Amino acid sequence: MGVGILASRAIRPASRLLRSQPSNLLLRTIVSKPELQSPEAAAVSQPEPPKNQILPPRNPVGGARVHFTNPEDAIEVFVDGYAVKVPKGFTVLQACEVAGVDIPRFCYHSRLSIAGNCRMCLVEVEKSPKPVASCAMPALPGMKIKTDTPIAKKAREGVMEFLLMNHPLDCPICDQGGECDLQDQSMAFGSDRGRFTEMKRSVVDKNLGPLVKTVMTRCIQCTRCVRFASEVAGVQDLGMLGRGSGEEIGTYVEKLMTSELSGNVIDICPVGALTSKPFAFKARNWELKGTETIDVSDAVGSNIRVDSRGPEVMRIIPRLNEDINEEWISDKTRFSYDGLKRQRLSDPMIRDSDGRFKAVSWRDALAVVGDIIHQVKSDEIVGIAGQLSDAESMMVLKDFVNRMGSDNVWCEGTAVGVDADLRYSYLMNSSISGLENADVFLLVGTQPRVEAAMVNARICKTVRASNAKVAYIGPPADFNYDCKHLGTGPDTLKEIAEGRHPFCAALKNAKNPAIIVGAGLFNRTDKDAILAAVESIAQANNVVRPDWNGLNYLLLYAAQAAALDLGLIQQSAKALESAKFVYLMGADDVDVDKIPKDAFVVYQGHHGDKAVYRANVILPASAFTEKEGTYENTEGFTQQTVPAVPTVGDARDDWKIVRALSEVSGVNLPYNSIEGVRSRIKSVAPNLVHTDEREPAAFGPSLKPECKETMSTTPFKPVVENFYMTNAITRASKIMAQCSAVLLKK
Amino acid sequence: MAAPFTLRKIGVPPNSANLTEARRRVFDFFRAACRSIPTIMDIYNLQDVVAPSQLRFSISAQIRNNAHVTDPKVIDLLLFKGMEELTDIVDHAKQRHHIIGQYVVGEGLVQNTGSKDQGKSDFLKNFYTSNYF
Repeated sequence: MGVGILASRAIRPASRLLRSQPSNLLLRTIVSKPELQSPEAAAVSQPEPPKNQILPPRNPVGGARVHFTNPEDAIEVFVDGYAVKVPKGFTVLQACEVAGVDIPRFCYHSRLSIAGNCRMCLVEVEKSPKPVASCAMPALPGMKIKTDTPIAKKAREGVMEFLLMNHPLDCPICDQGGECDLQDQSMAFGSDRGRFTEMKRSVVDKNLGPLVKTVMTRCIQCTRCVRFASEVAGVQDLGMLGRGSGEEIGTYVEKLMTSELSGNVIDICPVGALTSKPFAFKARNWELKGTETIDVSDAVGSNIRVDSRGPEVMRIIPRLNEDINEEWISDKTRFSYDGLKRQRLSDPMIRDSDGRFKAVSWRDALAVVGDIIHQVKSDEIVGIAGQLSDAESMMVLKDFVNRMGSDNVWCEGTAVGVDADLRYSYLMNSSISGLENADVFLLVGTQPRVEAAMVNARICKTVRASNAKVAYIGPPADFNYDCKHLGTGPDTLKEIAEGRHPFCAALKNAKNPAIIVGAGLFNRTDKDAILAAVESIAQANNVVRPDWNGLNYLLLYAAQAAALDLGLIQQSAKALESAKFVYLMGADDVDVDKIPKDAFVVYQGHHGDKAVYRANVILPASAFTEKEGTYENTEGFTQQTVPAVPTVGDARDDWKIVRALSEVSGVNLPYNSIEGVRSRIKSVAPNLVHTDEREPAAFGPSLKPECKETMSTTPFKPVVENFYMTNAITRASKIMAQCSAVLLKK
Repeated sequence: MAAPFTLRKIGVPPNSANLTEARRRVFDFFRAACRSIPTIMDIYNLQDVVAPSQLRFSISAQIRNNAHVTDPKVIDLLLFKGMEELTDIVDHAKQRHHIIGQYVVGEGLVQNTGSKDQGKSDFLKNFYTSNYF
């Protein structure tokens, strides 16, 4: 919160008043008179500012930009004497934000509905008998808003005093200390002394699960969590019980918060009532170093800030990115960081003749691998990139394997036959923020709630804002918005493609229909037929147009989009079964039984997860918080992770290991620095070099050839069985284990 | 063995008048250091690790590092520092791993320029050392 800036802002206007005092006062005694105590009298005796005073230019709070939907409908209001143009529906608080004045608030949040119950945002409006709640009052043309008058200040002090009356003296033991809105605003706007001498009330704590720690005595009843849960998360878990000072926020029944967005209430709560249970009592926010990076637990690429203390990641906080994740992150992103401390591979290891692993030096490990790789034939070499691999390491792996003469290098999750020629066939073509403009959704074989929680949040937002219709084909699942279950398998898809299903009418009448296909369908044998059916639906209902492309593919893993862009596709189905040398770069979802018993397996990764037990040589690599890697999310937006903590033990970056191995094997790759790798990537997939930019697909479905196959009748299966355990880091995390034991709906 | 050589506290006098005197002092210091090598090897048990000639080479290499200096005052200061270091070592104020790290391996004396690393590129050498390069 930028409330720390508020403190300095609050002091500055006061100094303007002091300057207007006569300067011949040699002795300044502090005297208080009755006239000085009452705000109205002080307002009367205020000197009038000169008429043609040139006011300094003001920028909106936080560098925000104001979007005028109808420029003719802009109204002009005056904030502290400063004229500012705002769009028509703006509230007084938003108008003040445009004018650069940050008004203190507790219950108002820009992404939630307006409650107006904390009363901290009171400002004085001319010709109004009492101060108005600026978060709720719409700004009318010609309104004169004053935020720094004694009335407004007195109101803030009063509200602060009331809030602190029943607030426990928990600052030393409260996790929110140092980043607490109540602390900051009481320092900036509160009075210096209180008048409360009675007993404070206390409230029982509620059990919301292993993620959210509740100390309900600290709650100031702002209802932000209630509004968040019902609007953004779509679950009506929390509510306000009771009235007056006996109000309690709770679930009424003994219910845990099972929503996948439940961790965001921790950010939203302005006080320490809802805090992070795994982070409880671990650190104070001023001793943490924040590093702005990207999350890789799913294909969305949520922007996060990793707070670390020394070599340890202490917590993960979301960052604002309007296009991808707004201000929210899923629970998996937020709480899987303790998996980074467990089961880490830190030294190169070689399996001895008695079957046990022995730690060796890098020289020896690479020498062994380099020897073996020359003893196998070219097409018996297989390289598999994992779901958390970054683009640089995948590029170097592909180059290395190709130069050894083999074509068998692919990424997990891409089955045989997935072709990466046309980018539209594996990206979210309407972009995640573009989903807000859709009015009908058809979800085919995907459960966005567990596959990409932020996409689901966006769909929920659209459904809530514009009453969009959602229908899905797949196994029956829980959705946090109203949606129709059309069927479970390809039969329903065929019916819709042929126009026989009643849902076709809804699709035809939609202005912006969106079809979201899950990447789990890529692994089916009849994938071509299914995708052809989807594309025929898209064509029949005008889904792909120059101004709107609603045909979306939701990828499952962070590495998939970049892998497909770089060309890591599986060409032959028998490659793994006939392999003699398998290089697993973080690939844990590979079916280990399919690898032949006499194959030499090299596992390069950061966790000792599933595939390590089959490996012959282990090469430790760095995790996503320790390396600078390029990731492309499911909509084609390229982002980079930033190293937040140092690597563990003797681990190295993925691409460096492959590059060193190639040198030891005698293959001369033409680059030896990260810039070299990036310029190589630029020649293959230039969009991966343009970070923080979205590259939409160039061509549409019109270029695809006809498909001759027939669909099978097996229904669609869920791809993600356990939301909390999908990759190596989450499987190693104790918090995720607790969540999956307690929070999953059985 | 020769009679044990006691390191008299030859504090370096404050000023050398000219370069010749400074040069003389440098050689005195070198002699004092070489004469204390048997004591050092005895204190820190370096008999199997390194030969006295290698230690002498190491000391002379460090002196040669500063061979380009011409200002007598600077030479005096360097000598003071060298004397301080030598006194610390002889007084057993350092430990074995300090000596080995600073004077044995540090100069590339022990097994660093072995045949394993000769033909390798900078990338590979840096890779084997650490992740950050």
